[in-house]
Amino acid sequence: MTFIELGSGSPDLSYRQRASHVIALAFAVFALVIGYNLRNTGLFSTTRYENVEAGIRAEYPRNWLFDNQGDYVFRVRNMTRVGFKTTIQVELRPVGAAGSTRSILDAISLERFQSLAAYQVINVDASTPLADDIESVTMAYTYADTDRDPFLQSIPTVVRGVDILAVRGGQVVIITFLADATTFESDYAFFERFLSGLEFR
Amino acid sequence: MKSLTLIAVLLLFTYIVPVTAQQPALDIERIQRATVFVMQVRNVEDNLFITCVSSGTLVSRDGLILTNAHSTQQSADCPGTELIIALNVRSGESPIAQYRAEIAQIDPGLDLALLRITREPDGRLVNRENLALPFVELADSSATRIDETITIVGYPGIADDPVTAVQGTITGFALEPRSTNSASWIKTSAVISGTMSGGGAYNTQGQLVGIPTTAPLRQGILNTNCIPIQDTNRDGIVTASDDCIAIGGFINALRPSNLARPLVRAASLGLDVEVMSLPTTTSSGNTPTISRLFFSPSVNEAGMPTTVISNLPSGSTSLYLFFDYANMSPETVYELRVTTDGRPNATFSLAPVRWSGGSSGLWYIGSSGQPWPNGVYEFTLFANGVAAPTQRLTIGGPPQITATMSDIVFGLLNLRGEPLGNGFVLPSGNTASAQFLYRNMSNGTNWTAIWYLDGNEVSRTPDVWSEGETGSASTSIQDPNGLRPGSYRLELYVENGLAATSDFTLAGAQQGVRPQIFSNARFTTAATPAEAAQSGAISTFSDSIPQLYALFDWQQIAPGTLWTLRWLVDGDVFYEQVSPWTMPESGQNFTAILSSPNRLPDGTYNVQMLVNNLLLASIEAKVGIGQLPIDRFARADGVLLRGQILDSNTRQGIPGVAFILISEDFSVSDFDWNQSKVYALAVTDQNGFFELERPLEYSTDDREIAYSAVIAADGYQPISADGIEVTTETENPLELIIYLSRD
Repeated sequence: MTFIELGSGSPDLSYRQRASHVIALAFAVFALVIGYNLRNTGLFSTTRYENVEAGIRAEYPRNWLFDNQGDYVFRVRNMTRVGFKTTIQVELRPVGAAGSTRSILDAISLERFQSLAAYQVINVDASTPLADDIESVTMAYTYADTDRDPFLQSIPTVVRGVDILAVRGGQVVIITFLADATTFESDYAFFERFLSGLEFR
Repeated sequence: MKSLTLIAVLLLFTYIVPVTAQQPALDIERIQRATVFVMQVRNVEDNLFITCVSSGTLVSRDGLILTNAHSTQQSADCPGTELIIALNVRSGESPIAQYRAEIAQIDPGLDLALLRITREPDGRLVNRENLALPFVELADSSATRIDETITIVGYPGIADDPVTAVQGTITGFALEPRSTNSASWIKTSAVISGTMSGGGAYNTQGQLVGIPTTAPLRQGILNTNCIPIQDTNRDGIVTASDDCIAIGGFINALRPSNLARPLVRAASLGLDVEVMSLPTTTSSGNTPTISRLFFSPSVNEAGMPTTVISNLPSGSTSLYLFFDYANMSPETVYELRVTTDGRPNATFSLAPVRWSGGSSGLWYIGSSGQPWPNGVYEFTLFANGVAAPTQRLTIGGPPQITATMSDIVFGLLNLRGEPLGNGFVLPSGNTASAQFLYRNMSNGTNWTAIWYLDGNEVSRTPDVWSEGETGSASTSIQDPNGLRPGSYRLELYVENGLAATSDFTLAGAQQGVRPQIFSNARFTTAATPAEAAQSGAISTFSDSIPQLYALFDWQQIAPGTLWTLRWLVDGDVFYEQVSPWTMPESGQNFTAILSSPNRLPDGTYNVQMLVNNLLLASIEAKVGIGQLPIDRFARADGVLLRGQILDSNTRQGIPGVAFILISEDFSVSDFDWNQSKVYALAVTDQNGFFELERPLEYSTDDREIAYSAVIAADGYQPISADGIEVTTETENPLELIIYLSRD
């Protein structure tokens, strides 16, 4: 019987060589950390927004298209995203004294049934925390987004959305995040950072 | 953002030196894209069956469509209840159903309707603010001239026919009452098929001057065919026993765009007027009749004939055919056939159209400023296909010396026996007088004045002429107990021939020489009409309001008297209704309510009350800042920018890339990703094609307009450019091919 012994002999390294290996590894790790930080700085750099009238202060991703000309307090969209433009929106609606978050969610869903194709609620969760421990309710949903231009040939995109509702006084704040279903998970980090910087006054 | 010079292709449309301002050429592609196919459909157990078809034209970017009323409003001819809008998505192909619509404004008599796109085909609501549809602007149709070239655009059939453009010229105008500042019809030499009814006719600047209009197409008449295209009886085959769609016919008349302006204005602002007491116009069920046809060479400001003639000299350019009508309704189809020396004369004929004059009264159809060649003319009017007695007129030769009476005006007599007042609306009293001119009369000639009240003769005065050959004379009607309010008519006969005639209205109390019919007119706001009647007058509403009440009192106006209620905003009419008075002779708080689904837009609102075209009362109120908001999307002309964005390596279109055009006031370096600085935005489709939602405005010497552009997509190098200008010489639409390089 023949035994073949496989092994690697470690040549003896000098102290200087070992030290240089450690330093090289340290630099590599340091460069990775710097690179990661630089990437995050570029990727997650933000622009400050403050609306005294609405009592909202936020930090939204830099170079997302800011829009406050609609029925919302403001909306930002990532226009460089190929396909559906990842969107974060903040909206205020009046709510009656007897109004509950459940009734507001139902009203929103009824509106969307009328206007969004294949709209469907995935779940409603009461666990999403907001700044200052404001109680909130989260609704996740999907719908099919189609380009409104009838002269173009666009295939509908499946969009995943999240609404976070919080009642403040006589108003309900609706914070919405929308993304292509295929990029929802990766883009959700933007939303989490947005929520962490969101302040109500 | 890294700013790179935009690639050469993009620079192709950059003009550094703007050219002198000039009118853009007819942009037929934009017009064809704005022309829609309107299908009225009937829903039977969730199956949609087409009942009527017509063409229509988008007149606003948010989906207002101008078309005919007869093919959209539910009726016996068109029993459908829903409207489907198909767009000309690709040039040269048949239209594709894209939206559902509802009637926003309608005038059955003018046969015009404004549709509003409201839903997707599957029933989902459309956010109209997000619509960015191609549209056309309305021209001032009163500025059109004979022999002007026009292009008619519409859908000629119901099969695979794409949108079609037909060229022709304006051959004349037809004038009718209540359109004193504009013709009622524009005649054209173009051959227009019946299903192009509701489409558009355009001047050389690409503005809408008229709407091709015909009476509803019916099987077996008007050269129409009826084609079954769906299995409506569900027997498994499409045969003649299935419901069919009428097509064919021919159109030679256009409704001028000026007549559509009030409807467009009201629809675009979302305004709706409710009059508390106006009757809905319905057919009486009696047979429409046309009678007492006669000719006049001209019409006065009250719409009355100046005289009565039986011939015209050579070179005449103005002629009006007057007639009485009764039992008419908007559903009545009327037609004028004119022959010259026995041959049909299309120039002066009017193809079958809907009736716009209400139930009964005096009407005319005529032309002015248009040469009438010499000949013997025969005029035959038809109401629902039934001919009235033909009337003949000879044109040619020198002016004839015949006894003439003309230019009747009515009034109260002053101390010198001259009538005072506004001529055609008199206050109540014991005496009404008429003054008229006469020429070529001979003393001893028999003449007669006959007065009528509401169609019944009340006075006849046969007499022998003794006033001399030429001058003015007067005649009166008296009643010691006071003349009853109502609609009066005077006929003057010379030797048993009608020489002159005119109508006037007697109403209201005497205030000087003028009648006071309407008083205490005021605006107010309230929750209910009853509350409005108790509210005081308000002339300034600082905040926007959901409803505006107009109220007034009235006195001594007889039921049946025709009067006009007109609403204006910032000087533009958006509602005008001529109708018979239906209230008691005197009363208080006649109420009209202006409302809007949202709140009334800021503006200066006016309400006017008229009788016989004479303004008798007017009130004004300001809402908000007293001026309509500026519509930044009002301009339809400009250069359509579209193209394709490709991967420079694969040469494949990149879907989902944003093309951002920055407003003229900002450069790329100023752009901070704020929507307020964006002029237009587009996202590429699955093949990389895009088109901007707004046309680029032309740069001129007076106003230099330079846009900037940004194109950025994850994974690709962004590109941007400043100084993008287009002029009237720029190719339109402007097609771009843009290559993006990977990072």
